[in-house]
Amino acid sequence: MTTTQDTTTPSDKTSGVTYTPEDGLLLEVEDLYVEFHTPDGIATAINGVSFDLHQGESLAILGESGSGKSVTAQAIMGILDMPPAVIPGGHIRYCGQDLLSMPEDQRRRTRGPEVSMIFQDALSSLNPVFPVGWQIAEMFRMHRGVNKSDALEQAIRLMERVQIPAARDRVKAYPHQFSGGMRQRIMIAMAIALDPAVLIADEPTTALDVTVQAQIMALLDELQQERQMGLILITHDLGVVADVADRIAVMYAGRFVEKADVVELYSAPAHPYTRGLLESIPRLDQKGQTLAAIGGLPPNLMRIPPGCPFNPRCRRAEDVCRRDRPELREVVPGRFAACHFAEEVINA
Amino acid sequence: MGTYVIRRLLQMIPVILGATFLIFTMVFALPGDPLAGKCGERPCPPAYAAAFREKYNLNDPLPIQYGKYVGNLAQGDFGETTNGIKVIDQLKARYPITAQLALMALAFEAIIGITVGVFTGIRRGGFLDNLVLISTLVVISIPVFVVGGLSQYFLGVRLGLFPVTVTSANPTFYQLMLPAMVLGSISLAYISRLTRTSLVENLRSDYVRTATAKGLRRRRAVGLHALRNSLIPVVTFIGFDFGFLLGGAIVTEAIFNIPGVGGYLFRSIRARDGASVVGTVTVLVIVFLFVNLLVDLLYGLLDPRISHD
Repeated sequence: MTTTQDTTTPSDKTSGVTYTPEDGLLLEVEDLYVEFHTPDGIATAINGVSFDLHQGESLAILGESGSGKSVTAQAIMGILDMPPAVIPGGHIRYCGQDLLSMPEDQRRRTRGPEVSMIFQDALSSLNPVFPVGWQIAEMFRMHRGVNKSDALEQAIRLMERVQIPAARDRVKAYPHQFSGGMRQRIMIAMAIALDPAVLIADEPTTALDVTVQAQIMALLDELQQERQMGLILITHDLGVVADVADRIAVMYAGRFVEKADVVELYSAPAHPYTRGLLESIPRLDQKGQTLAAIGGLPPNLMRIPPGCPFNPRCRRAEDVCRRDRPELREVVPGRFAACHFAEEVINA
Repeated sequence: MGTYVIRRLLQMIPVILGATFLIFTMVFALPGDPLAGKCGERPCPPAYAAAFREKYNLNDPLPIQYGKYVGNLAQGDFGETTNGIKVIDQLKARYPITAQLALMALAFEAIIGITVGVFTGIRRGGFLDNLVLISTLVVISIPVFVVGGLSQYFLGVRLGLFPVTVTSANPTFYQLMLPAMVLGSISLAYISRLTRTSLVENLRSDYVRTATAKGLRRRRAVGLHALRNSLIPVVTFIGFDFGFLLGGAIVTEAIFNIPGVGGYLFRSIRARDGASVVGTVTVLVIVFLFVNLLVDLLYGLLDPRISHD
């Protein structure tokens, strides 16, 4: 007897397109630009960003608020509001296919089964009027055409997988009836429902308290190992990154200013901004001393200063920094930094 | 939920008492004599006048009169009009007409208002959006008797699309169409604006972004995820408006000569018919309170974050 529970209808349920990564290469972002056209002028949020992501790899994108890290994630996901956002240049290739030139309907079908995303605030990111199980089950129903009760059954299994206690009893509960950590687990369950190859986590633990943060990061790490997903972890928290990420890209004013292996970057940063970030982490052995902080504010994206965008805040800045913009270059093998004095910074 | 309903029902008792007492006092305080004109041009014979006053307790002081009235009310007796007809019978004949008019107005304002609100909300800033913003502003700022008169003249007399007035004691659906549209026009404007604002707000919400990130079609992200949330305040407004409409539309019923509760109340006030006025208002207050209770219960169903425990 054959079971045909996953009956598909031709319209939506099967994309008809299969994506196979070549040499494990999932995502290539190449020279990406994103602008916001506002009544006050054009804000350049992403200014020529490039990176690759492979199967089983985790890349952390680190930066302050407004550095463009979330916009990068949303551009990859294709959920920017356009307008006001405009992508004037660049490519985002998933398994060799350019997402930006893909027909919208084909691209939509990649969201969920291929590329998926977790947001910062799980309470506002979940729909308040639908039960959580229903919201997870929607993934199976809409993408795979699974019927309601089977989809709900799969949702329960996912809730159990992300360690929600008494999942079967809570499947009909609403988002507001869960704690912050449990809500984020539900977001994660929803994001991994269709076994995506790429998972983007946009500040997944920012809204949570510290003990819960660690649990959520451990869960993400575990799921990533288990499913060999490519993980993009967007955060401003250096502490969160260290355990999970393989590589780090530090973002400032819409550009990558440093890209490196996580261990190498922590031991010897190659950019004054990264150094400043690391120094501003409170440490127990410095108790009682004044905490180092980077002076000044990130630049207004409508008026990014000429030369190195970081120069007004940089202690090391010289005339050349105010005149010439440093490109991201390989300082030592495998280490990239956009600083005229990267060699000196890394050896300092 | 059950205790909530019981608590709400108990809360109605002081409201009903307060409302009836106020209206009873106001009718009592009105100048004039219910016996005036009762016997044609002449004053009524003393014997008749005495019997009349006795029957309607007119010789008692106000608190006694009110006490007797409430006592009857508690037994389901809404009193008699000065013509000796039971108030409840009068209402039984008229309330179905008012209710039909209210339901028609409600359907008109809800269906068109929500549709217009959704389309303008999706295409914010477009031609339709601006047209609706301006026309709703016009509708809201014009009094209902002007809208009624104008539509009666243009749609009824000049174009002949609708009957100008109601001519029978049992108006037909067709005869009530124009009055229902006039009656619903202001709420229609409010509903379309409320739907639009609410939808625009929800379209920007994080969970609609999540819906997009889930790979849902835009139609589903907007039409289900955003709209379901947007309709919470709209449905609440519609329910609240239904309570008002069931109170009878004095002006609209007068313009179109509709034999409903509104017109009856108006004539009773002019005739100094205290029993009719108080009886009718009591019924209207009770209906209004019940509709409000239903709206609050409905609100709990629409928004799971509201709990009635």
